[in-house]
Amino acid sequence: MSRVDLNGVWKIYPRGNVVGVKDLTFTINDKEFLAILGPSGGGKSSTLRMLAGLEEISRGEIRFDGGVVNTMGPAERNIALAFESYALYQRLSVYENIAFPLRARKMKQAAVDGKVRFIAGLLDLTGLLAKFPGSLAGGQQQRVSLARAFVRQPNLTLLDEPISHMDQRVRAEIRARIRHLHEEMKNTTVYVTHDQAEAVSLCDRMVILHQAQLQQIGTVEEIWNRPANRFVVHFVGEPAMNFMACRIDTGGSLALACAGGMKRLSFSGAVDPARVGAEATLGFRPQEVKIARANGGGNTVPCTVRLTEFQGETTVLTLSIDGAAGSAEVKAVVSATERYRAGETVWLIVAPDKIHLFDGEAPISRRVGG
Amino acid sequence: MAEVRLDNVTKLYGKKRAVNGVSFTCREGEFLSIFGPTGAGKSTILKMIAGIEDITSGQILFNGRVMNALPPQERNVSMAFESYNLYPHMNVYDNIAFPLRAPRWSLKLTHQEERRRVVEIANFLGIGELLQRLPQHLSGGQKQRVSLARALVRKPEVYLLDEPIAHLDARLKFSTQSLLKEFAATYRSTIIYVTHDYREALALSDSILVLRKGRIEQEGKPDEIYYRPVSDFVGRMIGEPSMNLIDGEITAHNGKTFFQAGESFTLPVSDRLVASMKNAARTESGKSITRLGIRCEHVALSRNRISEESFPFPVYAITHEAESSVVTFALEHAFFYVRTRQEIGFADYRVSEKIWVNFDQDHMFFFPKTLELASR
Repeated sequence: MSRVDLNGVWKIYPRGNVVGVKDLTFTINDKEFLAILGPSGGGKSSTLRMLAGLEEISRGEIRFDGGVVNTMGPAERNIALAFESYALYQRLSVYENIAFPLRARKMKQAAVDGKVRFIAGLLDLTGLLAKFPGSLAGGQQQRVSLARAFVRQPNLTLLDEPISHMDQRVRAEIRARIRHLHEEMKNTTVYVTHDQAEAVSLCDRMVILHQAQLQQIGTVEEIWNRPANRFVVHFVGEPAMNFMACRIDTGGSLALACAGGMKRLSFSGAVDPARVGAEATLGFRPQEVKIARANGGGNTVPCTVRLTEFQGETTVLTLSIDGAAGSAEVKAVVSATERYRAGETVWLIVAPDKIHLFDGEAPISRRVGG
Repeated sequence: MAEVRLDNVTKLYGKKRAVNGVSFTCREGEFLSIFGPTGAGKSTILKMIAGIEDITSGQILFNGRVMNALPPQERNVSMAFESYNLYPHMNVYDNIAFPLRAPRWSLKLTHQEERRRVVEIANFLGIGELLQRLPQHLSGGQKQRVSLARALVRKPEVYLLDEPIAHLDARLKFSTQSLLKEFAATYRSTIIYVTHDYREALALSDSILVLRKGRIEQEGKPDEIYYRPVSDFVGRMIGEPSMNLIDGEITAHNGKTFFQAGESFTLPVSDRLVASMKNAARTESGKSITRLGIRCEHVALSRNRISEESFPFPVYAITHEAESSVVTFALEHAFFYVRTRQEIGFADYRVSEKIWVNFDQDHMFFFPKTLELASR
């Protein structure tokens, strides 16, 4: 269990001079569960490998509890790892697989036995300890892999996409188990994934990497409510945020081209008066709008229901907003108990504090309480 | 387009019954999904409709006309498979145009008309930029959309689509799903669609067949399949997390009936559910055992007592979704999951903290056990 600091870390692959990671600076707090999220090729694996000591750090430094670990190997850094492929030793029993990192540290059998049985109990593996990995189902193998990663208290536990390929029921279970283990063991944990739902589900905070660079670090609420840029907005949330072209109308309102002229929507806070009259992009999340059958006034936009897609608890509506520049399509998520038909006219309600504004890729800053 | 009817259709592979007495009707203009796990017989049904597989017994009818003896090319169906089956030596344009040029359909399109149709469907599916490329230069997701475009470019009696978007990444899957739904609505097409993904089945279909080991387990509209599953099997196939299934004992104290799953899980059962609960029960070592099913959004949680029926239970773990939380509870043999309501936001419960759990009796089911559950 350690606090880990990355300080101006670069990874440059000499062949072709490819930059894997560019000037990465962030802190993983002691006992924190941090997710590293991003698309493939974004720099996640390079970061993980440098944290683990499997890859040389080209520039900058990584510190564990203040001490630089750049030149140390994985064993010296005291790291535990679990991968998507379980990487279990097929010739060893489940017991010996879990005991392996303890034996590698020359722990006495009595202590080994206590630790193996404790973690096996937490992961419901007690009945499987004498079995061999080849005879276990995928979910069970992943539990063994997790047990091996959590059996001792390393400085840092690294989990690399351990559940992305599992079926939905097993996934819900393994998520709960990982989070439970984290609460019990309080390991400092880094979880690497390309799946935003996975990161949202598990983490205390997340780091978003794209094109070798840090895009944002924060809690799920911070990433959701105050995204650093359009990439972050696009990457987190399903369905993704809706975007429409608009014009800043006053310091606290925008104008949107709709059927029957311009529609004014007010937003919370106030933008720089210099922006009044400028073009901007309106963003709002499908999960944060409401739909009404009558125009109640205020921040409402008339639209036509194009499609309804039932999802069980919710329904996703595709709505078209007729405007001057053709029609724009947006999505809205509503409770499945509200029934809408394709072709119906409805009113989309976007609350002022659910409005995001962008100038190109960057969010437009707003003075709170304006 | 056609109405497609299957009448008591069976398919034997040696002694194995891949499809066992299946009957259903897909009306003209209907979007029907065949949904089930791997090996349930979904693709076999589709191949029999296409004429690629022989029918062992029963009948397949298009608009009332028996198709059994007709070869595939005389049935006028259009197919897309999970495996793309693109012609490797033809570019994307020619692959998509191929069905328009088949002499069989005598479409005799002018060059301009052919181009108009190919470009229209390619643009619709977001692959308009790829028309000059060869399949070997495409990603899996792009190939799959080319295969889908080739199936949709012509208007046949029925479209037969077998997992046509299974290989797209999550984001593209959702958007392509919307496009397919729009296509079906615009052209009022008869579509039979095979999938193992409950999200696609719920979102796209007018009706769903849930297939289990070659038989139809349930047939209904998406909301019927979701809200009124006929068995533990159907409940477990749908949702993430899927329906909670909890095995327990029927007990009685002071004239009240309870469902008991371990020491601290004692649920009073409302009088109107008692009959269905007892119907679903079986006797195991002198005890009356039944299986409770409830979806994770139909359980309420609170730090305060919610109702007479609520009881306190310790939290095992908390995970999050964008705007809600999933709280996991551990029973002796199983986990159960509860999704908090979005209005409440993230749950701030602690692991091991006891909180009040309230099962919504209007959304509670009791099933006979037809499914082995993995023990925790």
